[in-house]
Amino acid sequence: MEENEAMVNVTWNGNNGDLPDPVNYDSTDADILQMVQEAVRTGGVPGIPADQNATFTNFVVDRFGATEARPNKLISIRPKTPFGS
Amino acid sequence: MKTVTIVGVGALGSHLVQFLRNLDVNLKLIDYDRIEQRNTRSQFHSKGGVGKGKVQHLAQTMQFLWGIKVGTVPHKLTSDNDDQLLSGADLIVDCLDNGEARRLVQGFVRRAHVPCLHGALAADGSFGQVIWDEDFKIDDEDVVGAATCEDGGFLPFISIASSYLALSVQEYINNGKKLGFHLHGGGAVRR
Repeated sequence: MEENEAMVNVTWNGNNGDLPDPVNYDSTDADILQMVQEAVRTGGVPGIPADQNATFTNFVVDRFGATEARPNKLISIRPKTPFGS
Repeated sequence: MKTVTIVGVGALGSHLVQFLRNLDVNLKLIDYDRIEQRNTRSQFHSKGGVGKGKVQHLAQTMQFLWGIKVGTVPHKLTSDNDDQLLSGADLIVDCLDNGEARRLVQGFVRRAHVPCLHGALAADGSFGQVIWDEDFKIDDEDVVGAATCEDGGFLPFISIASSYLALSVQEYINNGKKLGFHLHGGGAVRR
């Protein structure tokens, strides 16, 4: 993996998986969400069953730099988490 | 002895308190809310506590079940009292349910350089985060006062998320390590 690339982890409908290929870490949130939406709709994310109605417009893009424990950059696509109490 | 302050003792916070009962720390609980009947389906609050303050009743429960004393602050966190209520903690755990209050906690911990762990759930119970403040992004409700994941059907997932929160607190207090997790229906991913 190149230094400016990141794996993309996706959570959709309680399922979780990684895009098969890394993406450019500097891609815009909109581009990443569009890419992920297309992948989930077509069954392109191992671990997440294809869902033709998947919509990621309201999802959050988190970016994590490389660490000792995780040598590669990571982009995480997740639902909003406003609740705890 | 270190002090762990838990802000919000509803779904995540109430279970977290009982999962920390073996940790050698002072626990301080902050929440102004009272127990409602519906809370008893998803929170560690019993029907006998309906109508009582959450922190006071939880303190009674901890004392009754395990002989553990916890500190209670039955006040709403505001910009006028955040410094007073949150100071003195070695670790703050945010288990709140709204962006406004979370921003107060985040503002304080960043000003005061206090370690802070956040617990956060998606409204549909499909996803949760146990995440340290340096990586935490506050998500507001789409509609203020919108339905939360506190329906009784979410209790197992809430309990799992609370367990991972407790694990992170324990690891930090005992070994100084900061563990974060993403939680979903299929399990937990370390972050």
